[in-house]
Amino acid sequence: MEATAPPASRTRTERLERIWKEPSGVLGWITTTDHKRIGILYFFTAMTFFAAGGIEALLIRTQLIGPNNTVLSPAEFNQLMTMHGATMIFFFVIPLSTGAFGNYLLPLMIGARDMAFPRLNALSYWIFLCSGIFVYVGLLTGNGPSAGWFDYVPLASKTFSPGPGIDFYALGLIFNGISTLAAAINFIVTIFKLRAPGMSINRMPLFCFAFLAVSFALVFALPPLTVALFFLELDRLLGFHFYDIFRGGDTILWQNLFWIFGHPEVYIIILPAFGIATSIIPTFVRRRMVAFPLVALAEILVALIGFGVWAHHMFAIGISTITAIYFAGASLIIVIPSAIQLFAWITTIVTGMPRFKTPLLWIIGFIVLFVMGGLSGVMFAAIPFDQQLTDTYFVVAHFHYVIFGAAVFPLLGGMYYWFPKVTGKMYYERWGQASFWLTFIGMNITFFPMHILGLDGMPRRNYTYSPDLGWTGLNLIETLGSYLLAMGLVVVAVNLIVSIFRGEPAGDDPFGGDTLEWSISSPPPAYNFAVLPTVSSPYANWDEEDRKLDKEKLEQGIEVLDQGHETAASTVVDGEWDEILEMPSSSPWPPLLAIALAGIFAMVLLKLWLAAAFFAVLVGLVLVAWHGGEPQEA
Amino acid sequence: MSDVTRSMEATAPDPTATVERMRRSMPSGWVGAILLVASEACLFGSLIASYFYLRFDASSWPPDGTPAPSVVLPLAFTAMLVATCVPIYLGVRAARVGAVRTAWWLIFLATGVQATYLGLQIWLFVEELAKFTPRSSAYGSNYYALLGVHHTHVAVGLALGLWVLAKLFGGRLTNYRLNAVRILGLYWYFVSAMAILVVITQLWPSL
Repeated sequence: MEATAPPASRTRTERLERIWKEPSGVLGWITTTDHKRIGILYFFTAMTFFAAGGIEALLIRTQLIGPNNTVLSPAEFNQLMTMHGATMIFFFVIPLSTGAFGNYLLPLMIGARDMAFPRLNALSYWIFLCSGIFVYVGLLTGNGPSAGWFDYVPLASKTFSPGPGIDFYALGLIFNGISTLAAAINFIVTIFKLRAPGMSINRMPLFCFAFLAVSFALVFALPPLTVALFFLELDRLLGFHFYDIFRGGDTILWQNLFWIFGHPEVYIIILPAFGIATSIIPTFVRRRMVAFPLVALAEILVALIGFGVWAHHMFAIGISTITAIYFAGASLIIVIPSAIQLFAWITTIVTGMPRFKTPLLWIIGFIVLFVMGGLSGVMFAAIPFDQQLTDTYFVVAHFHYVIFGAAVFPLLGGMYYWFPKVTGKMYYERWGQASFWLTFIGMNITFFPMHILGLDGMPRRNYTYSPDLGWTGLNLIETLGSYLLAMGLVVVAVNLIVSIFRGEPAGDDPFGGDTLEWSISSPPPAYNFAVLPTVSSPYANWDEEDRKLDKEKLEQGIEVLDQGHETAASTVVDGEWDEILEMPSSSPWPPLLAIALAGIFAMVLLKLWLAAAFFAVLVGLVLVAWHGGEPQEA
Repeated sequence: MSDVTRSMEATAPDPTATVERMRRSMPSGWVGAILLVASEACLFGSLIASYFYLRFDASSWPPDGTPAPSVVLPLAFTAMLVATCVPIYLGVRAARVGAVRTAWWLIFLATGVQATYLGLQIWLFVEELAKFTPRSSAYGSNYYALLGVHHTHVAVGLALGLWVLAKLFGGRLTNYRLNAVRILGLYWYFVSAMAILVVITQLWPSL
C-alpha cells in the first residue's frame, strides 16, 4: 500500500514506522509492549498448552480404550485428568481467546494504536507464561494435582492429598488470576477509552461487545476463586480450618466459592467465541448481522445472568428445594439471551449470500454443536435429571460439546479467518475444509457416545471399568474418534505452519472483511493506523467513503499523531476525542516483575518464607524502577 | 480537535491543571483503578460472605473458649482511618488545580495518620493472637484472614502514599503524577469503606 501511496503519505508513514519501531531480535520480543506481538506470544504459548492438554486427553482416552487397561496407573490417570481440565480452561481457552485474539484484534477493531496499558499487557503475558510453567513443573516432577480441575475439598485437603500437587495447582491459579485480572481491566479500559474518535459505543463491532462482557465477568468472577484458593492454601500450608468440618469449617464453602467463579467461567470461555462468530458471519454472508442491538445486549446479559446460576453444579449435594428451584429457574432463563444470538446467527446466514469458505464452515459447525451442547445443558436445569446423571459421562459429553464444540470451533475458525491478516499469507483452502470435516466428525465420534454411556451409568473420572458392564464398544469408538479429532487438529496446525512459509500473498483484505483491521496492510504496521480512522458504523471497513477520507487525511497530514508514541483517547460513551496520549514503549520491567512474582509463589510452595520475602522485596524494587520513568520521558 | 490536549506534555503544575480542566472524561488510569477496586471489593465480599456462611452453620460463634471481640479499640481505630478521607479528598482537590505544596502536606498528614492506624492495628492483632489463633477454629481462621487482608490493603495504600509524596516532593506535578494522586484518593476511599465493613464483621458477635 505504501509503495503506491502519494509522496506526502509515504513520508508520514515512514516517520510513524521510525517512531513505533521496537528493538529487533529476541530482546525485542521479550521487552515488547506492542499488542500484536504480545498477542502472537500469547498465541504460541496457549497453543503449546493446547498440545499438552491434547496429549493428556489422548492418554486418558487410550487408557479407556478397553476395560481394565493399565496404560496409566490410577494416580497418573488422576493427575492427567486434572491437568487436562486445568490446562484447557486456564492455560488454553482463556489465554487464546482473550490473550491472543483479544490482544491482537481489539485495538485494531476500535482504531487504536495499542492497548490502554501496554506494559501491564506485557506483564499479563509473562505472568501467564510463568504460572503455566509453575503448574507444569508439578506434573513433570511427578507432583501433579490430582483432585480434578474443580479441586473439591476434602479430597484436596492436606489429609487426603498430602503431596505438593494441590499446592502447585492452587498457588499456580492464584498467580494466573493476577494475569487474567490485569488483562480484563486492560480490555475494558481500552474499549472505553481508546476507541477512535467518532466510534460511539453503538458503532463498536459486536466482537468488542463480547470482549467487554467477558472482561467484566472476569473482574467479578476471579475474586471468589482467589479467596477459595487462598483459604485452601492457608489450610494446607499454615493449618487453618476453613474447610475442616471438625473445627467449624465447611467443605461446601469451597463448592460455593468455586462455582460462583466456575459458572461465569463457562460464559467467559464461550463469549469470545460468540464474538468471533459475529465477526466471521457478516464477512462470509455479505450482510450485516440481524438484530445488532439485541445481540449486543444478549452478549452482556449472558455474562450477567451467568453469575446467578452457580448452584446448579451442586444439585446433588443436598441443598434445599427452594434454593435448587431458584437456580434451576435462573439456569433456564439464561437460555433466552443465548437463543437470541443463535437465531440472529442463523437468520443472518440464511438471509445472506453465504460463501462456504473454511472460517464459515467452522462457525456453522459451532452452531450445530452449540445447539446440541445447549440442549443437553437445558436438561441439567431439570433438577431430578441432574441428580440422576450428575458425575456420569453425560456431563462430560455436555460440557465437551459446549467447550470444545462451541468455544474452540470458533477459535479455530478465527485462526483461519485472521491468518491472512496476521501473516500476510493465505492458507490452503482445501486443507482447511478437510481439517474442519476431520475435526467435526472426530469430535462427534468422541463425545456423542458419552451421552449414551452416561445414561447407562458410567461414572466420570474413573480410571477404568469392568468388561462385564457393556461399556467396552462405545469406549473403543470414543477413543478412535479422539484419534481422528487429533488428526484434524494436526491438519489445522500443518496447514497454517506450511502456509506461513509457502502460502500465496493474501493482500490486505482477502475476504471483504467488515471491521477496521481489514483496512490496513497485512501484517499490520507497528503503528496500526496512519491516521485516526473515520468511523460511521460498526461495519467500518464497508463504509468506503470513510476509507477514502482516511487516505485524504493522511495525504493532508490531518489527525496523523506523529509527534511521538501517540494514540487518541476518547470519551466513554459518545467516543468524542478527549486527549492525545503518549504511550509507553518497550520495557524490560514486565518480564522481570513476572519472574520476581514467580519467585514468591515458588518459595511459598516450598515454605521458604525468608526467600519469599526476598522475592517480595525484589517485586518492590522492580515496581519502583518501572514507575521511575514516566511515559513522556521515554 | 482544537480543544484536544496532548495531556502527557503537561509537566508543570499550571499546564497539568489546564489539562485537568479541559478533560471531558475520566483518564484511563482512573478507569483502570475503578475496575481494580471493584474487583477488590468483590474479594472482600467473598471473605465477608464466607465469614457469615460459616457463622450461620455454627452452633456457637465464636466457639466456646474463644473470647468475643472487644469493641472500643477497633471502632476507634476505624474512625481514625475513615477520617483520613478528608485530608485525602482536599489533597486531591488541591492537586487538580495545581496547588502541589498544599496537596503534599495534606497527603503527608493523611499518610501519617494511616501509618499510625496500621501500627495500632498490628499491635492489636498481635495482642489478640495471644488469646486465640487462626489454628484454634474456623472462626479464628476467618477472623485473622479477613483482618490480615484488610491490613495488607492499608500497607499497600501506605506504600502508594509514600511513593506519591516522593514524586510530588519539590513541587513537580505532571499529568502522570496527578493521575497517581487521583488514584491514591480513590484507593483510600475504597479501603476506608472496606474498613467499615470489615470492622462490622469483626465485631459482629459483640454487636
